Amino acid sequence: MLVNYFKIAIAVLKRRKFFTFISIFVISFTITILMVLAAFVDKVVSENYPDRNRSRLLYITTFEESGPGSMNSGALSFYYLERYVKSLKRPAKIFISSRHENTNTYVNNKKITVSYKYTDATYWEVLDHDFVEGKPFTAQQLANGERVAVISEDLKKEYFGNMPSVVGQYIEADDVRYRVSGVIRTVPSTNYLFSGDLFLPYTLSKIDLRSNKDYRGNFMGVLEAASSADVPAMKAEYEQMAARLPMSNKMYTNIYTHADNYLNAYLRTGNEKKSGMQIAFMTISIFVLLIMLLPAMNLVNINVTRIMERSSEIGVRKAFGASSKVLAGQFIIENLILTLLSGVISIVLSLIALQVINNAPLLNNLHLSLNFNVLLVTLLACLVFGLLSGVYPAWRMSRMHVVDALKAS
Amino acid sequence: MFRHLFILMWNKKKQNFLLMTEMFVSFLVVFAVLTISVYYYGNYRKPIGLDYENVWIVDYSNPLRTDNKDSIWLFYDALQKTVKALPQVREISFTSNNVPFSSSTIMNGVNNRGKNISSINWYNIDDNYQNLLNIKLLEGRWFNKQDAVARVKPVVINATLREELFGNQPAVGKQYGDDKQSRVIGVVQDTKMKGDYTIAGKAVYNRVDTGSLGGMQKMLVRVTPDADITFEGRLYKTVSTVMKTANVEIQHLTDRRKYMNNMSLMPMIILSIVAGFLIINVALGLFGVLWYNINKRRGEIGLRRAVGATGSSVSMQLVAEALILSTFSIIVGVFFAVQFPLLNVFDLPAGVYVMAIVLSVLFIYLLVLICAFYPGRQAAAVYPAVALHED
Repeated sequence: MLVNYFKIAIAVLKRRKFFTFISIFVISFTITILMVLAAFVDKVVSENYPDRNRSRLLYITTFEESGPGSMNSGALSFYYLERYVKSLKRPAKIFISSRHENTNTYVNNKKITVSYKYTDATYWEVLDHDFVEGKPFTAQQLANGERVAVISEDLKKEYFGNMPSVVGQYIEADDVRYRVSGVIRTVPSTNYLFSGDLFLPYTLSKIDLRSNKDYRGNFMGVLEAASSADVPAMKAEYEQMAARLPMSNKMYTNIYTHADNYLNAYLRTGNEKKSGMQIAFMTISIFVLLIMLLPAMNLVNINVTRIMERSSEIGVRKAFGASSKVLAGQFIIENLILTLLSGVISIVLSLIALQVINNAPLLNNLHLSLNFNVLLVTLLACLVFGLLSGVYPAWRMSRMHVVDALKAS
Repeated sequence: MFRHLFILMWNKKKQNFLLMTEMFVSFLVVFAVLTISVYYYGNYRKPIGLDYENVWIVDYSNPLRTDNKDSIWLFYDALQKTVKALPQVREISFTSNNVPFSSSTIMNGVNNRGKNISSINWYNIDDNYQNLLNIKLLEGRWFNKQDAVARVKPVVINATLREELFGNQPAVGKQYGDDKQSRVIGVVQDTKMKGDYTIAGKAVYNRVDTGSLGGMQKMLVRVTPDADITFEGRLYKTVSTVMKTANVEIQHLTDRRKYMNNMSLMPMIILSIVAGFLIINVALGLFGVLWYNINKRRGEIGLRRAVGATGSSVSMQLVAEALILSTFSIIVGVFFAVQFPLLNVFDLPAGVYVMAIVLSVLFIYLLVLICAFYPGRQAAAVYPAVALHED
């Protein structure tokens, strides 16, 4: 029976080429937009280089104190992380790193903007970086205050040109010479928590990190649990610790700081009242709704028009006893076949679109691609779209009276 | 004649209702895109108000940490002299973090005669700032050394804030502020600090005193046009040698401006591409539906031609039908669109919305006219004999 529906659908599509073209154009373009959006969201959510063991990690990124009429929020201080966070019992490993900041270096009459980051040695144990060459700096080197650095592949290319191996070479940045100890595959800038070009031991910081005794500063911390089952207990321990903290100033009444999973940490706005998760979800839903609404209505219009064309067929089938349900079902399936066909075309279109976006200088190291998740979303979008635009016309069609239908032809 | 058209349309209300909804939603999409475009274009036409060529931003986080005001002053004085001694440096000015085309914003509010004025951009700058950026003085003067001992705090405000505070009257010498008085010594032209497509907003400039120089992390340097990358490297070395604990970064205002403009335009471009294709969708759909309907009505058209209607009056009828349909959708659309200026949803000037509404109405009419024109022409070409014979 389905084979029959398929044959009829193809025959109908062939009948009025102009309408078929409009339908396919409308659907495939809409689905292309959705696919590009899905590819982008998927990249942000599931790009797990270098934090591949995400299920075992909790991220501490912001510290907010608020009171009536005042609010202060930001990243954390080194002092806070070392004194309060490092004293937690549950985490198997804890690392501390600064947020990335920019500086310049000048080499061969060229200016390079370097984004650098101070880290500890545990950073390299918890995160799983792909080392192109060399290795990370050790805890011993960190303690000795040796001037060593891990650099990104991008920086290597920019600074050293086509030199095959740069381990042991010196790189000058921020007016200091560092010996390169390793080169990592560049972390994409969408993973802003860990992206950077130059990674330095925190002991090389030009100021005394421990002198800032506030809660807020320029650092973040990551907790690693021994197993993913341990994560909730680790989270609870952190919240308990945070609940006991004294306010830094009398004008504050609340402290908000969280050990988050990746997505929450990624979308945290730094303002407890504004959930980044909610904002992202709302924005995407409204966008998707707007994108789908207009084409769907357009398609309903076209479909309703096309039914009239088929009134003789409907009349004959009804006269021979087909029920309204069967007819409506047939029409919906035909519409789904059309949407799926357009879905296939939209895969080709979005491959082209992604190629264009990847080559455009929008974001560094942004390589969008289609994968299983994105294709799943596409399939879902096709189904939703097919139903959205097919149900009303099908209902209209199935209600047509036999006499009218036969007479109209 | 209109009455007759209404009856014809009422007979097909279900189908027409769908078409109208589609036109209504298209109207809203076009309205959204045009509102942003009109707003950006309006901002773009205003002068930028400052001279950004050959100006560099030197960012030095973590400068010296001391609370001794004298040593801070000595330090910055030495820094200024060292940098100014470089051959390609023309002028140098210390400023708060909100330099031109940066993403940093510092805002403040003030109570004046019981009225609260909020979102005033707050700039901490020194005596060289106006000269360095070439900001035009509209009245009064810029800061100088004598302001350090002024009894009432001297400030320079921009034209937008002057209008808010004093209407269109001259402001120099006047004081404002209920809690803490400030005395206006000068008024400068508006400057678009976030790029070409943004508004200047209200701004107040405060002369930085020796005590707060320690918290400053940025300076602007105007260089000669021949300053190249080698010189930039030298400047970089000079600054980092003087400020041992600082992390130094140099950026060019021209690059920052380009970056900020891209940040404004990017959402606009994405929105326009998406809206553009949505409109093509709708246009194709409308065209198809109208064309099909006319083919269905060959009998009716044939009859009209047979009893003496001319071809052009037939096509006029069909185009008029489409336009009446779109008028209904536009009325509903305008009803929703005028809520934006009435409720002041996005804090845009009402003129922008009005302009956008007018343009959207024209756009939808044009779209419908184009889509209805060809089917109308086809209808005019119907031969009565052929059409009636078919029936």
